[in-house]
Amino acid sequence: MKAFKFVLLILLLPLLAYTTAHKFYVTVTQIEFIIEKQTVQIISRIFIDDFEALIRQRYDENITLDTSKEEILIDIYIERYLKEKIKIKINDSIKNIVFIGKEYEDDIVYCYLEIENIQSINSFEITSQILFDLFDEQQNIIKTNINSKTKSFILIPQNYKRVLNFN
Amino acid sequence: MNKFKYYFLSALFVSFGVFAQEQEPEQPERKPGHTNQNKFKQLYDEFSTPNMFRAGSGAPGPAYYQQQADYKMDIVLDDDKARLSGYETITYTNNSPDELKYLWVQLDQNMRARDSKTPLINTSGFSGVQRASTFTSSYLKYRFDGGFIIEEVSDINGRALPHMINRTMMRVELPAPMQTGEKFSFNIKWWYNINDHVKDGGRSGYEYFEENDNRIYVIAQFFPRMAVYSDVEGWQNSQFWGRDEFALTFGDYEVNITVPADHILDGTGRLTNRKEVFSKDMMKRYAKAKKSFDEPVLIVTQEEAEATEKKKSSDTKTWKLHAENVRDFGFATSRKFIWDMMAVKLENKNVMAVSLYSKEGNPLWEDWSTKTVASTLISYSRMTFDYPYHKAISVHAPMGMEYPMICFNFGRPDKEGNYSDRTKYGMMGVIIHEVGHNFFPMIINSDERQWTWMDEGLNTFVQYIAQGDFGKLYPAALSEGHDIFPSRRGPAKNIVPYMGGNQDFIAPIMTKGLNTYQFGNNAYGKPATALNILRETIMGPELFDYAFKEYARRWKFKHPTPEDFFRTMEDASAMDLDWFWRGWFYTTDYVDIGLKEVKRYYVVPATKERIEATAKRFNRTVEELPPLVYMVEEGSEEFTEDMRTGSPLENAPTLKEYLMDNFTSEERKEIKEPKYFYSVTFEKPGGLVMPLIVEYTYADGTKEKITYPAQIWRLNDNEVSKAIASDKEIVGIIIDPDLETADIDTSNNSWPKEEQESLFDAFKNKIKD
Repeated sequence: MKAFKFVLLILLLPLLAYTTAHKFYVTVTQIEFIIEKQTVQIISRIFIDDFEALIRQRYDENITLDTSKEEILIDIYIERYLKEKIKIKINDSIKNIVFIGKEYEDDIVYCYLEIENIQSINSFEITSQILFDLFDEQQNIIKTNINSKTKSFILIPQNYKRVLNFN
Repeated sequence: MNKFKYYFLSALFVSFGVFAQEQEPEQPERKPGHTNQNKFKQLYDEFSTPNMFRAGSGAPGPAYYQQQADYKMDIVLDDDKARLSGYETITYTNNSPDELKYLWVQLDQNMRARDSKTPLINTSGFSGVQRASTFTSSYLKYRFDGGFIIEEVSDINGRALPHMINRTMMRVELPAPMQTGEKFSFNIKWWYNINDHVKDGGRSGYEYFEENDNRIYVIAQFFPRMAVYSDVEGWQNSQFWGRDEFALTFGDYEVNITVPADHILDGTGRLTNRKEVFSKDMMKRYAKAKKSFDEPVLIVTQEEAEATEKKKSSDTKTWKLHAENVRDFGFATSRKFIWDMMAVKLENKNVMAVSLYSKEGNPLWEDWSTKTVASTLISYSRMTFDYPYHKAISVHAPMGMEYPMICFNFGRPDKEGNYSDRTKYGMMGVIIHEVGHNFFPMIINSDERQWTWMDEGLNTFVQYIAQGDFGKLYPAALSEGHDIFPSRRGPAKNIVPYMGGNQDFIAPIMTKGLNTYQFGNNAYGKPATALNILRETIMGPELFDYAFKEYARRWKFKHPTPEDFFRTMEDASAMDLDWFWRGWFYTTDYVDIGLKEVKRYYVVPATKERIEATAKRFNRTVEELPPLVYMVEEGSEEFTEDMRTGSPLENAPTLKEYLMDNFTSEERKEIKEPKYFYSVTFEKPGGLVMPLIVEYTYADGTKEKITYPAQIWRLNDNEVSKAIASDKEIVGIIIDPDLETADIDTSNNSWPKEEQESLFDAFKNKIKD
């Protein structure tokens, strides 16, 4: 019978709706183009529990987030992961994303990323697959403020890319 | 102390504004008419009309009734097959004025049946890559074989009763219609396979431990339960899809549960055969626990539990529980259980705080579970009424779920017994929350199936207060560097990302849980925050707590609706809060209040030109004008630098004359002379009306906070102005300086406009140091 210990995740979704745990697998990524500084600033808010589960499964079982221990190692994992899962093209060319650092607040880890030397943005393409490898029902909310226009949309495993044009 | 003592002066100042308006060009094109869209419009359209069942005050009306369902049950756990079977007799009392032709019984386990429709209402799609487990479960068609097997539905003489199962509900035909006051008893025989709640999810089930092949059972929704029949809904007709919780009838329970003889069991109700199931040692320890108010007393030690779990008894033992006036029944059983208890002193009675946990929960659980239960009972009793049951049990299980007198809570250290702050606070938080559910909805029995927020929101709000209390009662529970319990839900600023988020994915609080987007924020976070803001900022704790307590007292052991709550809060506080309920509970509006502009004015001499210009403007002669004070806006065409000098009285002889003519010299001594005049315009880009909390900073460094009630927005929902006469120069103005309103954009909250350092830059600067 052990071979059949499979789980029907879709069925489970509503059942996971326990009374206090956060039931929704959501990250929020805020992206802002600061034209005076020629920089794109990115802040991703990710639930610590989810990110910890991810890092344990993917890199290192012994990691516990937010204990002030092994934070340098954790930074390495986070940087590696985010750079793999977030891709940004500006004006049709893929940009290097710099990982600035992270901090914890309550049950959320704030990850700070930056793209430097951006003079202008005509088109902006973002791919976010954060945690899609862990949760099928993961949703990544993206909020952008580019050229004084704000936009908000959700990326899901079936639809993980969005192009914004500013012409 | 900078109150506006110059009433007459401000009156003139205001009329100055009126003059200005009159000068505007003629009316624009006539707009079409409209209905009452005012944010302060009464809630009569949303509320149902009060009646004999539910009064306009929010209290139960003179004809209020509720049904009663009493249960006698014999339950057997088959530990080998992980199967639960039962034989129950339900005695249903019809207290309604209506004749009932049939009864509806809830079969919640059927949500887990193979023919459940729950998977069918969840949308799905393919992505490039899928987890093998999901793929298999979704497309290779394996599904847990859950759901009730109903073997018998019969009357008390054993005659079969016709019945029909509609998914998670069963209609039982009555031999004859039930009249008011009549009772009807019937039997149901059933069994079901218990789910592994860790792997398959669920609000009950078992957790499997490979070591020694053992299970911890946390059992609930395990028996066919009467649906609610009420004045607002008739028979409850909303199926159990898996998310929206339960609507249940109060009643008395006699439950005999047969489990392996080496199991430790506790559940809803009083244990009536303690001597049969306790050893002599346990009896002695139990007697000691009832007198121990400071530290829990172990009834079963870890050493004993570890010895027990290594063997398996083939005998069985029956635990007998009796509960009165409960809306549900739950229990936990395992041979792995450690058991401790402690007495808790409430205002007028003592109760027991109890914990059941396995060695996997230690050392966290032996240190903190029972004390957390105790602190919670004290806090909630203070906010509502003395906890009416005799005990509250916290069981260690990886979930967070509540039943009368018993709840299942997460929080497990790693294998070495180490745990992070998050695990610790998470465990304490969930225990406070789930024990708190004893009040909402177990006793203040709202319909969870319809309104998730009524129990989760109210409970999360009291949880926030109870968490604060817990940190004070047990400072040792807090980690180094913390002086208060860190609460995630409750503080206004924490709801900002949700309320300021994408409107496409936000639903009003007054939405059935199943149909909301961000369940946690919608049904827990936002209502809890709203009530916290109502308490701290709008009503003040004294008014709020009295009204909240009145709601709890009125609806204790009854079935309240949202309106009963809204109405009671107003009835007991003399505050018309319709605008607050409307905005926070019926819409997805958010708070955004800002400072639009600050203009400074100077009192200038009443020159001949000014007087003549004014007279001309109002088509009067100079003699017809009343005494007037003239003011000029800084930076306007008329403004000159020399206007900055001189006091108002010096500059406006009319004013001096007016004072001399109308006030005695004694009275004139009391009159302050303000030197600084401002017109401050506030704007409200957000839809929610809220009090306007403004902090003025003066040149001498002092600050003054003035709260203009929300009603300031009643005639203009977009912007309002205030004329301010002050004897000190204002150098800064901040709106909502303590972040107590959940203002989603604070970049417009200050004058002079402060260049706010962005979160990003702040972090970047921080790590540079």
